[in-house]
Amino acid sequence: MSPELAREIDVFEGQIALKKQGKIEEKLFAEARLRRGAYGQRYDNGQRHDGIVQRTIPFPCGDLNKGPETVWDAPGMQRIKIPFGGMTAEQLEVIADLAEEYSGAVLHVTTRQDIQLHYVHIEDTPDLMRRLAAVGITTREACGNAVRNVTACPRAGVCHGESFDVTPYAKAMAYFLLGHPDTQDMGRKFKVAFSGCKDGGCGLTNIHDIGFTAKTWQENGQTKRGFEVVVGGGLGAVPYEAKLFDEAVPEEEILPLAQAICRVFARLGEKRNRGRARMKFLVDKLGIDEFRRLVLEERKILPHDPRWTGYLEEVAAYREQPLKPAKKLDLTQLTPSFDAWRATNVYPQKQPGYAVVTVTLPLGDLTSWQARQLADIARKYAGDNIRLTVEQNIVLRWVAEADLPAVYRELEAAGLSVGGASKIEDVVACPGTDTCKLGIASSRGLAAELHERFKARQQSGELDPALRDLHIKISGCFNSCGQHHLADIGFYGVSRKVGGTTVPHFRVLLGGQWENNGAAYGQTIGGIPSKRVPEFIDRISAKYLEERQEGERFRDYVNRLGKKALKELVDEFATVPPYAVDRSYYSDWRDPREFTISDIGTGECAGAVVPRIEFDLQAAEQRVFEASVYLDEGDYRKADEAAYQSMLIAAAGLVRTQLWDIADDPDQIVAEFKARFYDTQLFQSKDAGQYAGGKFAQYLFNRHADKDRAFTADKARRLVEEAQLFIEAAYGCHHRLQEQQSQAMAAFGAPTAPAEV
Amino acid sequence: MDLHKFGFKFFAADAERVDLLALIPVFHRWIQTDALPDLLLDVGDYSHLPAGPGIILVAHEGTYGFDEAGHRRGVQYYSKRPLSGDLPERLATVARKTLLAARLLADEPELNGAVRIPGNELRFFANDRLIAPNTDEAYAALEPALRSFLDRLYAGAPYTIEREPDPRERLGVTVRTEQPVALEALLERL
Ligand code: SF4
Repeated sequence: MSPELAREIDVFEGQIALKKQGKIEEKLFAEARLRRGAYGQRYDNGQRHDGIVQRTIPFPCGDLNKGPETVWDAPGMQRIKIPFGGMTAEQLEVIADLAEEYSGAVLHVTTRQDIQLHYVHIEDTPDLMRRLAAVGITTREACGNAVRNVTACPRAGVCHGESFDVTPYAKAMAYFLLGHPDTQDMGRKFKVAFSGCKDGGCGLTNIHDIGFTAKTWQENGQTKRGFEVVVGGGLGAVPYEAKLFDEAVPEEEILPLAQAICRVFARLGEKRNRGRARMKFLVDKLGIDEFRRLVLEERKILPHDPRWTGYLEEVAAYREQPLKPAKKLDLTQLTPSFDAWRATNVYPQKQPGYAVVTVTLPLGDLTSWQARQLADIARKYAGDNIRLTVEQNIVLRWVAEADLPAVYRELEAAGLSVGGASKIEDVVACPGTDTCKLGIASSRGLAAELHERFKARQQSGELDPALRDLHIKISGCFNSCGQHHLADIGFYGVSRKVGGTTVPHFRVLLGGQWENNGAAYGQTIGGIPSKRVPEFIDRISAKYLEERQEGERFRDYVNRLGKKALKELVDEFATVPPYAVDRSYYSDWRDPREFTISDIGTGECAGAVVPRIEFDLQAAEQRVFEASVYLDEGDYRKADEAAYQSMLIAAAGLVRTQLWDIADDPDQIVAEFKARFYDTQLFQSKDAGQYAGGKFAQYLFNRHADKDRAFTADKARRLVEEAQLFIEAAYGCHHRLQEQQSQAMAAFGAPTAPAEV
Repeated sequence: MDLHKFGFKFFAADAERVDLLALIPVFHRWIQTDALPDLLLDVGDYSHLPAGPGIILVAHEGTYGFDEAGHRRGVQYYSKRPLSGDLPERLATVARKTLLAARLLADEPELNGAVRIPGNELRFFANDRLIAPNTDEAYAALEPALRSFLDRLYAGAPYTIEREPDPRERLGVTVRTEQPVALEALLERL
C-alpha cells in the first residue's frame, strides 16, 4: 500500500471518529465520505414505508448522522473505482472477500465500470479501503463532486476497428486527474471516457464531459497519434450530446487539455444550483466556441507539468501479456450449447488465435464465490487480462481460441456461462428502488423479469433473430444511470395516481443508439404502468417484425413510424384496472408493498370524481407530446412554443388549485406560480424527493424570460425534455399536496376522503 | 478469539420445492410485524444468481436469508455488528437468531410447509478474515469455543465436523448429527 494512500485512509478513519464525537460538521463529513466512495443507500434518512405505514427506523445510533438527513447506522453503498474496468485476478478475489465480509456476498458491476457493494456500515469502510489499497485500488473520488471513474472500451487493444489501444491513455488520464488540485473544486461530478474508434465506438464518448476518440494522422511523413475530443455531453434528466472541441489533439496534449477544461469548469461552472451544475450546462451556456476559447487561454497559462508527456514512455512500453500461445479452435469438437454461447459471448481478437470472452452477469451481479471461480479461470486461461464493461458484464481477454471449450465448461460450473451478451436478454438496469435513494420504480425488478422472459424464449427457439440485437436499458428514475436514452427500447421510472392511489409506471423511450459512441438518444413517447411493460415490448416487437422493410433496423423503423403512431401504441397500454379489480398493478415488480397506503381502498372505483388538476396535467402531457412531434417534423419554433405552453398548462393547473380563476395569460400564470408554489417551496420542497431543489421550476422561468428566443433544433429539443420533467415535477407536487391533505384530515379525525374529492 | 462477524446456515431438506420469489412477500411481512428480534430493514432479491444469497432479509445487526451458496439451500443468518458476551455466548446468540428465522419460515402459512429444516446439518462460518482467516492456527483458536457451543446445541449427541478445505473461502465448518433434531429442541438449548 502506498504511504500516501495509507495516510488518506487514516485521515478518513480519524474523520469518522471525530464525526462520532460531533466535532465535524455534517456537510463536510458527507463530502469527505462521498469522495472516498462511501455513498448513501435507500432508507438512509431513517424512513421507510413498509407497505402499511411509513416508519421511522429506530437505529441504535439515535441522532448521529453521517450527512444531512443520513443516519449513521443506515447501511450504505461502497463504490470501488476501477479505471477503464481493468482488473487483476488478485484484485477480483480481494473484492470477493470484501463483498462477503462487509456487504452481502454480491459484487455489482456498474455502467461506469465500477464495482459497488451494498449494505455496508460506515464504520467498516476504513478496513475495506485498506484491503483494497493493498492490491492497488483506491476508492478516492468514486463519488462526490469529483472526476469519476475514467472509462474505456473493454476491447481496447484487441479490437479490429480501433485506431490504437487507448488503455494506457485512459490509465494515465485516470491517475493524472485523481486528486489533482484543479479537480477539487468542481460544482458537480465529471466524467471522462476513451474510445478506440468513432464508428463502432463502445466507449460512449458522446455522453461524457470529455470524450476522447482515438485517431491517427500523417505529419511530416510520420504517423501521429491523437484524439478527437468532444465536451459537454451527458445523460441525466435532460440529455446533451457532446460538442466537438477539437478534431485532432496530439497525444502529448491530452493531459494539459483535460486539466485546462477542469479548471474552466471549476471556475465557471454552476455551484449553487446542483441541477445546472454539470459541465454540459456550462458548455451550452457559453457556446462551444467561447468555451473552447476560454479553455485554450487557460491552457496557455498552465504551469508546465512533466507528467503531461512523461506518461508517453509508459504508452510505448505498454503491452498486455497473453498467458498462453495463440492457438486456433478445433472446430470438430463443438457442442450445440457451446456453439450458441460462442456466437454471442466470444469475440475473435485482432491478434489471430486469441479471443475475448464475455461473462454475462444478470443485472450486473456476481457472487463472491463466482468471482473467485472467475479469478481462477482467468489465472488459468487469460492471466490478469480482466475488464469490467459498461454493459455490466466482465470480459476475459487473450484467451487462446483452442481453450474456449474448456473456459466455457469452467464458466458453466461456476454458473457464469449465460449466453446472449449484448443481446436483448442482456438487460441493463440501474439499482433503482432496490437500493438507490432516488429510485422511483423498480428497474432491477423489471429487468429481472424481462431477462428471464427473453432468455426462456431464446432457449425454446421462440425469439426471432431480428429482435435479438435490440438493447433494453432501464433506469429507476430520470437520472439515467441505466443509460435508457441509448437503448432501442429504454425505460425510466415515474409514478402516476390512479383513483387516488399511486401506481408505478415507466416512461418509454424508443430508437436510441448505444453503438457509435452513443450516437443517438431515444425519443420519449409516454408512460405505461410498470406491470404492463412486458406486454408492451411484445406488442411493439411483434409490430416491428410484421411491418419492417427489408434490412430495416428497429430504430429506423420507429423513426419511420413516427411519434403519433408510437404514442397510440403506448396508449394502448396506459390503462390501469381499478384497485379493487387487480391489485397487482399497485405494487412494483418483485416488491409486493403497495406504493402508497394513505388512500388504499378508497376512491379507486370507476366513475370517481376527478379533480381539474388531473385533466390539466394530462393536457400538459398532450401538449408536450405535440411539441415532440413538431420537433420530429423539423418545426422548431412550433416545438419550442408547444413545450413552453405545456409547462404553462401544468403551472396553471397547480395555481388553479388555489386560485380558481387564474387568467390565461403567461405573465400572470408564471407570477402566480412563482408566488404560490416556488417562493413558498411547495413545488420544490425537501419532501419533493427527486423534484426538490427548484431546477424544474427554473425551466419554466428561463423559457418565460427568454423573449428574444432563437428557435434552434438544439434549444427546442432540450425544452421538450425540460417540459416533460416540469410536468413530472408538477405531478409530484400535486400528489404530495394530496397526500398531505388526506393525512391532515386523518389527523383531525375526519374520514379519509378519496384523494380526488 | 475476538470474533463478532460470523454466521450459521441450517440446511433445508427437499429445498428445491421452495419458490424463492414466494419468500419476498413473506420477508416484507416479517418487517411489517417485527417478526424477528433484530431491527429489520429491507428485502433483497438475488434469485437470479446461481448458488447465491437467494432472498435476503437485511437487518441492522445482521443479514437473514434463504441462501443457496454451495448449491445447497438453507436458512442463514450472519452478524455484522459487534455482539455482547464471550465467544460461546456470541455463538449461541447468532445461532439462536438463525433458528428463530428457520422456525418461522418452516411454520410460514404462505409457504405451505415447503421449507423443512431437519436440524441435523449446519454450517458455521467466520465472516472476518482479518481476525479469523481460514488457517489451522485460527481454527485452533476458535475450536474450543465452537465445540463448547456445539456440545450445548446438540446436548451431548455425537456430531462430526468437516472443515472448509479451500483456504480462500471463509474459515468454516459443516457439522452433522446422525439424527434430525427438532428446531424447537435446538432453540430450547440456547
Ligand atoms: S437512474 Fe435514478 S434510480 Fe437509477 S441509480 Fe440513477 S438515481 Fe438511482
